[in-house]
Order: sequence, then structure tokens, then C-alpha cells
Amino acid sequence: MRVFLRLRRWSHRTQAFLYVVVTAIAFLYLFPILWMFNTSIRPTQDIYKYPPTILPGAVTLENYTYVLTQMENFQRYFLNSVVVTLATVLIVLLASTMGGYAFGMREFPGKGLLFMGIVFVLTIPYIMYLIPIFMMEDRLGLLNNWLGLILPYVALNLPWGLLIMRGAFSTIPLEIRDAAIIDGCNEFQMWWKVLVPIARPAVAATTIITFVFAWQDFLFASTLMTDNLWQTLPVGIVWLRDELQTLVYGRIGAMLILSILPVFVPFLLLRDFFVKGLSEGMLKG
Amino acid sequence: MHTRKRWTVRRVQSTLNLIIFLLPTLLFVFVFIAFPILFSGYLSFTEYNYAMDVAPTFIGLRGYVDVLLHDGFLHTALKNQFFFAVPYFILTFLVSLGLAILVSELRHGMQLYQIVFYLPMIIPLSLVGITFAWILAPDLGVFNVILQRVGLGKWARDWYGDPDTALYALVAARSWKMIGFTFIILLSGIQSIPTSLREAARVDGAGFWGEIRHVVLPLLRPYLLISGIWIIINSIKVFDLPKVITQGGPGVSTLTLYLYSWKAAFERFDMGLASRVAYITAFIILFLSWLLNLLLKPEEAERF
Repeated sequence: MRVFLRLRRWSHRTQAFLYVVVTAIAFLYLFPILWMFNTSIRPTQDIYKYPPTILPGAVTLENYTYVLTQMENFQRYFLNSVVVTLATVLIVLLASTMGGYAFGMREFPGKGLLFMGIVFVLTIPYIMYLIPIFMMEDRLGLLNNWLGLILPYVALNLPWGLLIMRGAFSTIPLEIRDAAIIDGCNEFQMWWKVLVPIARPAVAATTIITFVFAWQDFLFASTLMTDNLWQTLPVGIVWLRDELQTLVYGRIGAMLILSILPVFVPFLLLRDFFVKGLSEGMLKG
Repeated sequence: MHTRKRWTVRRVQSTLNLIIFLLPTLLFVFVFIAFPILFSGYLSFTEYNYAMDVAPTFIGLRGYVDVLLHDGFLHTALKNQFFFAVPYFILTFLVSLGLAILVSELRHGMQLYQIVFYLPMIIPLSLVGITFAWILAPDLGVFNVILQRVGLGKWARDWYGDPDTALYALVAARSWKMIGFTFIILLSGIQSIPTSLREAARVDGAGFWGEIRHVVLPLLRPYLLISGIWIIINSIKVFDLPKVITQGGPGVSTLTLYLYSWKAAFERFDMGLASRVAYITAFIILFLSWLLNLLLKPEEAERF
């Protein structure tokens, strides 16, 4: 039906024209990334040649091998990013499937108000939490270690997770829950073995959204991780650019491409969940 | 008697379960969200230098009066936010709407183009900043090189180093990333419109633009509203880019509310001032989203 409709609307020639236009826009839009990639595969003297050229004079992977094997800082940032992001995702998943069940399938006084309060948090600027969290972590000795980033990341991403999870749990028929209880499950077994598997799409959405957000943060990571050793990729790469006078742009380009890859692959795989979770969350929130 | 007791036990058990299910959420929300909001609210009414070992002094509303009436930096930040927000809103909104309409018309390969336009969403803003700073650099930046090649060499400049253009160069970078976000919402909105409605419009002889104007845009309204609100809220939360590219400069030409609050807190350790600026920022965001809701949803606003 849809195909038939589309066919009737545009002639082949207009469709072809449309493709040319959209492809041109796509290239223009991707230009910043393409340019960084272009920079990352050029030899240093080619990048700093004057007058500069658009196309590389020669192609090399030297920047990538240098960054991966010689730059210990980069390896450390990579490790920090991976540990902090994965831990954040796991804790958010646990907390939001638990809380999502409570908000979606259980009744308790003040439920609506509490949930509204949590969703309301989504519009509050992060800068409001930052100062007290910094002072708190300073007292508790949490500055400059993984936990110091994981805990606030969980708190900030949890509202999204809850929004998505509550939506998923509230559409599960209560009969399923009752049947599981009659079969002799206790509430936790029922939640873990019956309900969470049904809510798998919401789990996927929460996973990818939390992953993407935690991987990108700059505000908290740059404030709470004052020691270079503990910085994550978005902060560490900026630090390297500012501190190392000898660092050439080819290396920065390579680091940039390498630091996008770990989030690009899961994003490609789970992008439908990402889109659905995000747009549902936004429309409800 | 026996059954009644069992009922009570089960009820206690059930309440206990509920508390356990809610515990992680409540713990994180109270410790890292509710408490910080209240505490920075308290700090905003005090004079407090974190670098000195002195407790906060309560000064009531005086701090707010001072900062709102006499703080030139705050006024500059407010002005900058305004001149940032207007082009940012127009650019992001129009480009993502146009892209969503174009891509929704594609017959094949829509997935591929979607990925292309989503892509900036996964690139950290600080790295977007590095990228744009490199592209818009004065001598080796490719943008100036291209300008020279096409004979517009007199326009070439240090885009982030020139106080006249720095803020708008930040708009370009921020907008580039945000477009992916609003594109997602608008495209899923367009796809949710039943084809039968659009077909009906076409049977009635509406052209492409007529169909967009009379069918697509009205039905897209909730999606337009949501993306509008998110763009506006986002236009206030500007930190990563000026922090990475311009440090608020040249001079104070790219000082934003976030950056001002951050600098007050972590360069001067003036936590009172920083909290006041943060609260003013939050207030502006809430006020704007409330206003937008009211303006764009008149039929629902009437009920209030």
C-alpha cells in the first residue's frame, strides 16, 4: 500500500533527483566527521603543508598505530570510559527495572506525585547538582575515582530509564503477574523470570540510551575528575590537546575516531530501540 | 483468625517487597538529585567560599538582588544566551524539519540516511568542539581554505577568535549535534501519520506542499512542540563547547550561564554565587518550557 502510494506520487526522475539532493546534504552534514577522518589518515607534513590541500597527498595509518601503542594516556582514558559507562549501564538497568515495576504495576500512596517529581528532574539543568555533588564527593573522597563518576551518572540517567521501564511494565497485563504468583513464584522471581524478559525492548532502549549519554558526558567528568589519570575520553582528549604542544591534529583525529567506535557499534545495532525509547520518553516527559 | 493472620503477613511481605523494589531508585534520586537541589538552593542564599575553611554565611535575598541588578557578567551571559538561542532555534528547527520531510519521502535506503543524520548524537560535544575548532581554525582551517578557493577570501577569519563571530560559530557546532536529536522525533512523528490521511489529501487534489501544510504539519504538532521545547531548553545548557573552544572568550563574548556558574564555582570557589547563577538558569528553563507549553497548546491551556 505504502509502496504503491509512493510510486504514484513521484516519477522516477523526481525520485532520482530527491536522492541526489539528500545525498549531497548527507555529505555536507557529515563533513565535520569526514574531515576529522581525512586528517587522521594523513601524514603530519601533509596536514601542516601551506597552502593546505583538501585531499590527502598520501594515506597512512601511522596516527592510529601511534595513538594505540604509544599514548598511555589515551589507553587509560579508554579504560576509564569503558569501566564507568558499563557500570553505569548495569546499575541503571537494575534500578530502573526494579523501580519501573513498582511504578508500573504496583499501587502505593504518593506514586503519581513521586513519579512526576522524578520526571521533572529531566528538565533541571545539571549545573544545579554539580556543586553539591562536588562538595559531597570531596568530603567522601570520591573525587578522582571511578565510583565518583558512576554514582552521579546512574542518578542522572535513572529518570530516563524509569520513564521507559514504567511505560513497558504498565502495558503488561496483570493476569500474567497473577498467573506467575499462582504458579508459586514469589514477587522477585516473578519480576526477574517473567516480567523482565517481557520488557526486553525497554531494557534494550534503556541500555543504549544510558550508554550513549554516559559515554559523552563532559560536565561531570571534567569537574569531578581533576586528576588526568581518572579522566574519560571526552575530557582526556581535550586535556591532551591543551597540554601537549607537540600533539599534531592527525593524532587528535585518530583519537576522536577511535573514541566514537565503541559507541557507534552498539548504536548501530540498537538504534531502533534508541529512537523509540527517546521519542517515547520525550513525548511523555 | 488463622486466615486473617496470613493475610496480614502477606501484606507486610508485599509492602516490604515494594520498598525493596523502590530502594535503589529512591536512594539515587534522594542522595544525588533531591539533596543537591535543596543544598544548592540553600547555598544560593549564602556567601560561601569553598577554598576557605569557613562555614557559609546566610545573606538571604541580598545575593540574588546583587547578582541580578549589579553583576555585569551575569548580564553579559544573559545577553549571550539570547543571541545564541535565537539563531540556534531557527537553524535547528528548520533544518531538522526539512531533513525529516525529505528523508520520509525516500523510497529505499531510508535506514542509511537515518543513520547519517543520527550520527552526531553519539559524538561527545567536547569532541565536536575540537572538530569545529579545527575546521574553523584561522590559517589551516579547511573552511577558510574553501572560502579562499571560491573567491570569498576576504570573509576568511579566525571564527572562534573574533568576538563578532565566536558566538555564532558556537551555534553552528551546537546545532549540528542537536539536529540529529530533533530529526529523530520529527521523523518518527511523520511516520506515525496514517498514510490514508495523506492519500485522502492527495485524492482531494492537494499538491505536495498542500499535503505538508494541511495534513502533515497539523498532525505533527505534538512532535513540533516537543522538539521546540527541547531545543529551547538545550539552548540554555551551553557548557562543553565554550569550555573547550573559547573559554568564554574572546573577552566575554561567549560567556554562557552554565560557564559563568562553573567558573564561579571551580575557578573562584564562590559556591554562593555559583548556586545563585545555577538557580537563575533553572528558573529561566522552567519559565520558558511553561511559556512554550502555554503558547503552543492553547486548547489545553484553557483548562487552567
